[in-house]
Amino acid sequence: MNFTRRELLERCAAFGAITLASSIPVSALAAAWDNAEKKQPTPFCELGPFYKREAPNTSTLRAPGDAGMPLTLSGVVYDVRGEIVPDSKLEIWQTDNDGHYDIEGYRYRTLLQPGTKGAYAIESVMPGHYPTRVCQHVHYLLTAPGHKPVITQLYFATDPVFDGNPDKNYTRDPLITSRELVRPVVIKGDPKQIIAAVNFDLVMETL
Amino acid sequence: MRRLSVAALVLCTSTMVLAAQPVAKVQLPCESNSQELSPNGSQLAVQCKDHSLLLVEVFGGSARTVISAGQGLNTFVYSPSGAQLAAGFTDGSVEVIGAGGTASKRHWKADSHRIDLLYFSPDYKYLFVGPVDSPGQVWDIRERACCKNQPKEDALPAKAATLPVDFGGISAVAASPDGKLLVAVGDDTVLRWYDTASWQKTRYYRGFLLETFALHFTTDGKQLLAGGADARLTIFDVASGKQLRQTPSEAGASVAFIDVLGNGQTAVVYFDDAGEKPPHALLWDLATLTSAPIKADAPPTCGGVVAGKLQVCTVDGKTLTLSQYQ
Repeated sequence: MNFTRRELLERCAAFGAITLASSIPVSALAAAWDNAEKKQPTPFCELGPFYKREAPNTSTLRAPGDAGMPLTLSGVVYDVRGEIVPDSKLEIWQTDNDGHYDIEGYRYRTLLQPGTKGAYAIESVMPGHYPTRVCQHVHYLLTAPGHKPVITQLYFATDPVFDGNPDKNYTRDPLITSRELVRPVVIKGDPKQIIAAVNFDLVMETL
Repeated sequence: MRRLSVAALVLCTSTMVLAAQPVAKVQLPCESNSQELSPNGSQLAVQCKDHSLLLVEVFGGSARTVISAGQGLNTFVYSPSGAQLAAGFTDGSVEVIGAGGTASKRHWKADSHRIDLLYFSPDYKYLFVGPVDSPGQVWDIRERACCKNQPKEDALPAKAATLPVDFGGISAVAASPDGKLLVAVGDDTVLRWYDTASWQKTRYYRGFLLETFALHFTTDGKQLLAGGADARLTIFDVASGKQLRQTPSEAGASVAFIDVLGNGQTAVVYFDDAGEKPPHALLWDLATLTSAPIKADAPPTCGGVVAGKLQVCTVDGKTLTLSQYQ
C-alpha cells in the first residue's frame, strides 16, 4: 500500500512513531515536507517534425568512429512529488554531429525503459546545428501510465549561440521557452578521450 | 491551408511545364511573409510582420484590419465559403470573424495552450481547433436560435467533442466532402477516423512511423491522401479504410500541404524546408502515380485550388502577384 507523505506523517504521529511539538500540527508539517520535495514539471518544448516511432532500445547511440564530441546524457524520471516514476518509457532522438536526422533508419534514436530506479543514461555525440534551428538540441518524449506525457528538448549551456551567457541569451532560439531546458555541460575523461556529460532529470505531472 | 508556411517555396523547372497566367496584382498594406487566399480567390488574409491581420480585396485592393498587432495571432484559416475567417492565438483563444464585409466577431478561450491548427467543416457547422501539446477540439459554431438576442457569452460556440491523442497535439485534419467523416492525425503518428454525427472513433491506422502533416480527401470523397515527414503520398480507400498505394518517398523532403485539382485526379503536393532538400512542389496523377514538378519564376507565399484550378501568389516587396496555372 502506498501512502502520501501527509498520510504517512499522520499515521506515524497517531502510533507514536514521531513526536511533534504541540505547536506544530501534523498538517503543517506534512505541507512543509511536501513543499520541500515538490518538483516543477519539465517544461514543454516542441516535438518537431522528425519524431519516429518504434526506435530500438539501446543506450549506445554513438558508433565507433562517429564524428563529434562524445556525449553522455543521464538523469532520473520523477513525478511532481519528487518520487520516482518506475514504469516510464523514454524516447530520445537527435541529429548526428553534422546536423542530420536519420529518417530512413534509427541512428541517434532510442526508446529506453528507465525501470524501477527511474534512471537513464545514453552514450551519444554532441548534436550538430540543424540548418533551420538556432541551437543544438536533443529531443525527449516521456510517457508513463497515469502521467501526462512530457515532450521537450534539451539544450547545452556551451552552445556558441548563447555567447557564454545562457541566462541572458537563451531566448535567441525562439523555441526555448524556459531557461530550465538549457543544461550545464561537464567535461570528463582524460586528454585522449574527452567526454561531455549532461544531467537532465525529468518531472512528470500526474493525470 | 491555403497559406504556404515555408519562407521560400521554390518550384522546380519541369519537362512538363504548366503555363502560368497572371490573374491580379495586389498592393499589400504592409510587409508580409504570410498570406492566405480565400477559397474563391477574391480576398487575401495578409499577416503583417507585426502580426496584425488584414483582409485585402484581390480586385480593388481595399484593406481592413481585423486583428491588431500584439494580440498574439498564431494561425488563421478561411471557411469553405470564404465568408468567415478563424484565427488562433498564442493564449489559446480563437476568433471567428466575418470576412465578407460584416463586422461580426466571436472570440472565446478554447484552451490554455497556443492554437496551432484550425479547420472548418465543409458545412460550416464545426470548427476544429488544435492546441499545441493537447488533444484536438471540435466546436459547434452554428448560431443558435435560442441565443440570437441573448447576452454575448450565450452566443459563443459550444465544444462538441474532444479528439484524443496518445501524446502531443493534432498535426492535421480533413473532413470528407459530405462532412460525414473527419480524419485527424496526431503527433503520435496515429490516424483516427471519426463519424461526425456521433464523434465516435470508427477506425484508426498506426502504420505511419513518422509524423503526418497534411491530409486531403479527393473531390469525390472516395480516397484520402496523407503526407508528411515520410515525403510521399499515402492513398487510402475511404470505404474500407485500407491503404491502397504509396508514391515513392523523396529522400530529404517533407510534405507540408496537399490539395486536389478540379479534375479530382491530380494532387498538388508541397514540400517544405523541414527536410534537407529545398522546398518544391509536385503534381501527382493519382491514377497513374506519375509526377511532374511545377514551374514558377518566384517563390510562392500562398496558393490554392480556385474553381478547380491552381492559383499561386508570389510577393515582390509589397506587390503580390496572383497567377493561375493551366
